[in-house]
Amino acid sequence: MLVACVAGWMIMELEILGARVLAPYFGSAIYVVMGSVIGVFLLSMSGGYMLGGLLSAGCHSELALGFCLTGAGAWLCAMPLIIRPVCEGIWDAGFDDKWGSLIATLALFAVPTMLLGTVSPTAVRWLTRQASQSGRSAGLVLAVSTVASFAGCVVTAFCLVLLSVRRTIAVSGVVLLAVGGAVLIHVWLSARRRRSAGPSEELNPRSP
Amino acid sequence: MSRRMCWLPAVLCLATITGIAAAGDQFDRNFGWLVYSKDSLYHRISVYQYGSLVTLRFATRDPLLVQSQVDTADPSRHMTEYTAMAFSGLLYQPEPRKALVLGLGGGVIPRELRRYYPELHVDVVEIDPDIPPVAEQYFGFRADEKLVVHIADGRVFIRQQLRQDPVPKYDLIVLDAFAGDYIPFHLMTREFLQEVQGVLAPGGVVVANVFYNNRLFDAELKSFMDVFPRCQAYLGVLSTNAMIVAGGSEVPALTAEDAAARAEALQVAHGFTFDMRAVAARLRLDVAPDPRAQVLTDDQAPVNSLRWQETERQPAGDRRP
Repeated sequence: MLVACVAGWMIMELEILGARVLAPYFGSAIYVVMGSVIGVFLLSMSGGYMLGGLLSAGCHSELALGFCLTGAGAWLCAMPLIIRPVCEGIWDAGFDDKWGSLIATLALFAVPTMLLGTVSPTAVRWLTRQASQSGRSAGLVLAVSTVASFAGCVVTAFCLVLLSVRRTIAVSGVVLLAVGGAVLIHVWLSARRRRSAGPSEELNPRSP
Repeated sequence: MSRRMCWLPAVLCLATITGIAAAGDQFDRNFGWLVYSKDSLYHRISVYQYGSLVTLRFATRDPLLVQSQVDTADPSRHMTEYTAMAFSGLLYQPEPRKALVLGLGGGVIPRELRRYYPELHVDVVEIDPDIPPVAEQYFGFRADEKLVVHIADGRVFIRQQLRQDPVPKYDLIVLDAFAGDYIPFHLMTREFLQEVQGVLAPGGVVVANVFYNNRLFDAELKSFMDVFPRCQAYLGVLSTNAMIVAGGSEVPALTAEDAAARAEALQVAHGFTFDMRAVAARLRLDVAPDPRAQVLTDDQAPVNSLRWQETERQPAGDRRP
């Protein structure tokens, strides 16, 4: 649940900071914010949901989640360094501000958003012990992650934009690395416990 | 009266009250009748008319804040203090050949520049495509081959100019782009000002329209001083508008006497309808940014929070738009 919260928060935070990051390069015209940023985020999230669904079906779903989170975290830590080269490169390639903003958003934010989007389906899978309960689990996960998204949205727009945008993105990356790291450590510890408990336990994967 | 007619006065009363209420929505006691309104992608545009006086407003927190105001019976008369103050740049660059204006509004500044400098080429950049038709229909603005309106974000336009070979250079750059009552942050940062510097001709000046009664003014002034070797400020007396005039080191730093002398010469040469000497008198050499102010950068520019923190600087005269 905590992981779903963090992912929900991060997605909205990135969306708002994304518009802020792009404005110096592509302006604040309507197609930058509405079209490019929101559009790319929605697309990436849906890609993440699909990927999350596929990953959650496997027996290494926890491991995959851990890697997705650490991957997103690493990308965000690197982002402050790549913003300028990517945006300048897009300008150099001759794209105008309309298409340029779309490409820049895709290049910078699609991957981390997709990785964060894999969280929800996996969380639903873990909470569902019986098929008849799947609706309830889905409702719970969506509600919690959307509230976290709301909080991320409001706090970012009201407070975080007062601070250094690059530093906020880097700190968010570190947080995601920590959460992802915690998940991976949990996976590793569970695997160790299972090995020491004996072969009969191997067929029952644990859930967090 | 017969019983059947008893309802008539009630109906008449109701009709009158409704009529007054409906007309009340359309009449603003400060600006007159609402003759046009539109929700564009960027602003809630409202145009008011009272006699020959036409006012352009956006929906802002301050109900008295005006974007542009023109007396259509006497269009050369400057109805707002700030449009006359925008001419302060000419004290430093008296013979501009090319000007860039960010932000159209009612088109007063570009039109007035062309009125007194008929050979001046003016590029106006406006992000909202709904504004130029309003300027033409209600404020008498007319574009021509020397007065060109570009629909674009101001920063994107300047970036595009910087990528041309050779880079077009402007003798006068007026920054007057507002989204309601605030300037978008990416048009206020050190990096933006460096890009503006890239399209400024030698001897040219940047004139930025800002509000001076809040902490944002200190941050803006500090950002300008960080980029431009020469910075001076003209503070409004009747309004909270100020003009920051900035340029390279070849631009003179004027004393009050210099400014007055140059204003006199310009007034004689061009016959401005406003008093250029009064504009020059607005020069304030004692204005300096608060030491705690921070330079605004693309990475960190808390403009909305600074904008609403008031400081002690207030206009000396009665408040007027």
